[in-house]
Amino acid sequence: MVQNNFKKITVVPNGKDFIDIIISRTQRQTPTVVHKGYAISRLRHSFALMISNPFYGDLLHVLYNKDHYKLALGQINTARNLISKIAKDYVKLLKYGDLLCRCKSLKVAALGRMCTIRQHMARLPSIDPNTRTMLICGYPNVGKSSFMNKITRADVDVQPYAFTTKYQVIDTPGILDRPFEDRNIIEMCSITALAHLRAAVLFFLDISGSCGYSISQQAALFQSIKSLFMNKPLIIVCNKTDLQPLDGISEADRKLVMEMKGGEPTNEEGVLLIMSTLTEDGVIAVKNAACERLLNQRVELKMKSKKINDCLNRFRVALPKPRDQKERPACIPQAVLETKAKQAAEKEKRKTEKDLEDENGGAGVYSASLRKNYILSNDEWKEDIMPEILDGHNVYDFIDPDILLRLEELEHEEDLSPEEQEALAEIRKKKSLLIQQHRMKKSTAESRPVVPRKFDTDRKFTTERMGRQLSSLGLDPSLAINRARSKSRGRKRERSVDRRDGDDGDAMDIDDNQASKKLRLRSTSRSRSRSRPPSEVVPGEGLKDSAQKVKTIKLAKKSVLKRNKNARRGEADRVIPTLKPKHLFSGKRSIGKTQRQ
Amino acid sequence: MISDIVNVIFCLGNCVLLVNLRRMRLEKCWFCSSTVYPGHGVSFLLLHVFKGYITLLLLKIFHFCRSKCHKNFKMKRNPRKVKWTKAYSRLHRKDMTQDSTFEFERKRNRPERYDRNLAENTLKAIKKIDKIRSDRASDHIKNRLKTGKVQRQKEARKQLELGIHLVKAPLALAQDSSLCLPKIKVNVSQAQTEENQPMEE
Repeated sequence: MVQNNFKKITVVPNGKDFIDIIISRTQRQTPTVVHKGYAISRLRHSFALMISNPFYGDLLHVLYNKDHYKLALGQINTARNLISKIAKDYVKLLKYGDLLCRCKSLKVAALGRMCTIRQHMARLPSIDPNTRTMLICGYPNVGKSSFMNKITRADVDVQPYAFTTKYQVIDTPGILDRPFEDRNIIEMCSITALAHLRAAVLFFLDISGSCGYSISQQAALFQSIKSLFMNKPLIIVCNKTDLQPLDGISEADRKLVMEMKGGEPTNEEGVLLIMSTLTEDGVIAVKNAACERLLNQRVELKMKSKKINDCLNRFRVALPKPRDQKERPACIPQAVLETKAKQAAEKEKRKTEKDLEDENGGAGVYSASLRKNYILSNDEWKEDIMPEILDGHNVYDFIDPDILLRLEELEHEEDLSPEEQEALAEIRKKKSLLIQQHRMKKSTAESRPVVPRKFDTDRKFTTERMGRQLSSLGLDPSLAINRARSKSRGRKRERSVDRRDGDDGDAMDIDDNQASKKLRLRSTSRSRSRSRPPSEVVPGEGLKDSAQKVKTIKLAKKSVLKRNKNARRGEADRVIPTLKPKHLFSGKRSIGKTQRQ
Repeated sequence: MISDIVNVIFCLGNCVLLVNLRRMRLEKCWFCSSTVYPGHGVSFLLLHVFKGYITLLLLKIFHFCRSKCHKNFKMKRNPRKVKWTKAYSRLHRKDMTQDSTFEFERKRNRPERYDRNLAENTLKAIKKIDKIRSDRASDHIKNRLKTGKVQRQKEARKQLELGIHLVKAPLALAQDSSLCLPKIKVNVSQAQTEENQPMEE
């Protein structure tokens, strides 16, 4: 029953932990609601219960100084009140917070104020009687504090500190460094209370004697304190072995040390360990040994207690009965062993940043490369220096994944560049030429014969011409030229070719020469009379008036039209260019016989 | 923004602050809108101080490029009414206010993962955008001033017509009808040119 009480008492958190607890709680809730204290009322209640029991009351008094405790609890209460007041203020302010960041900063401010309140108060004691403890004792200057520093990595002040692996380390300056003779009763009480703690004891011994006390003095201290450490795992730690190795001490001293070690029949092995806080070897070993011993002790204790028997009854370890004397060890596949070994090797080999620093000249000389572990699409970019300022602008303000696209759009808004204007001029020129051509064609289309291009009488459609036109458009003509040539050579029978694949340029070409030639052929005189419109009646023509002339011209044209279209030179032209055109005399019929075509 | 602040110097309730930024940034002067380069100028932080406790709430940061702007600010002048500031010129439409080139420059609070190609493109783009923007701005001003020019020319012509009688006699105007100053005719006698009279001492 008493046991239960003890366990129920939650540890009154340390000032710092207090804050951490509150902050972590507030982080989880959004919008933030500031929580009040930490079930203070519960603590008080259990505290009251405990005090009523005299034995525990005394213990508590000794351990914590119950007035102090009371005071601390009272202070927590006032803290709680103050905190609630602050909370109210800040909640009011939160109403005016328009941005989340402002609310957050308000919250931070609120917590800050609470922390300052907290700091103004006395620190609460925080020895938890239930967790595993390590008691460090020995003369001053022996190296207790430096040991504490090494394992807790914290500055040692006066009070004990909890450290990470659920162990408490209790340093005892001023308490356990003097023999009991010259102590007053209060001190004695506190010392005996410490004895109640379930702790491992680390007794520090200065081998080199540099603390100012000889080994014999230290041994004497040990003997006097010994009574406290009944039933506690004891470890004797010889410190400062860098100054004086254990083997080098004198015979008498060694005997004393052995006495200390072997002197307790109650403990299994008085373990003797050596270490040096300066060179740091052995420190971890000591810590591990102490932890182990403590753990073992607790396990034993648990085993011995009645409760465990109840548990033990409930389970049973079943082992297969050995059939014969053959050994059957556990079968671990080779792959697993290999990976395990590799992992172990890796762990050992892994280089930390600190090692790297030490290699390259230490803290002031080497500066760690922070860019090493950047995650980029391309690892070559890790050392890139990006300019932050360009021409009076912040470059980071312009960064945009589709900046190029938007820039293009922007440029489209602008005027055309000179090159573009050139191109535009060219386009317009060519277009006007096309229109001209078309008009000419149209005007003479009715009466001009449509001679297919393969009858290239002027020998105009050459590969050179094609090459020139293609290259002016920006293409490489060699391929086309080669193909044309090969094709032309391939055909033996006729020289008609598919030369003009992809040669759109040809159609666009100026047929000036041809047209003008035709015009020349048709027109007979080049006198000034041609400048007059053809429908005008010129004296000496034999026609009555312009209207009649127009009619006449029309008639003449009409009669000539059909002949021109069939490329006949005149009325009497009855020539047949090909008597047996291939396209009419070859091929299968879709319906009917092909006996005669 | 808040995490950039390192040192705070209290001075009579105002905070004049040395802003030590993790990353360099060009700021705009709050008064005249010119760029404040790192190491220049003064920044004023408007804070809300909670009574009795050393807690601050940052409300606004004002940057000033030089003491002129800073002093004007302390005199509580409104930059929109002070002729030489950009705020005034933008408000009174002397400068280009809305343009698509302004969209490119925007303070982004979310950092982007580094990409070399993107960085390259951005740097090239900044130059082009700058050029386009400045061209457009000067065009804007030119257009704005064009009407004035036209008007002045018209006035000049009118004045010329009306006032020509002040410098040119009506007779001369009848002879030579252009609106120019009359040509002064000087008779040079032949006799003078032929004789080479010795100079009198």
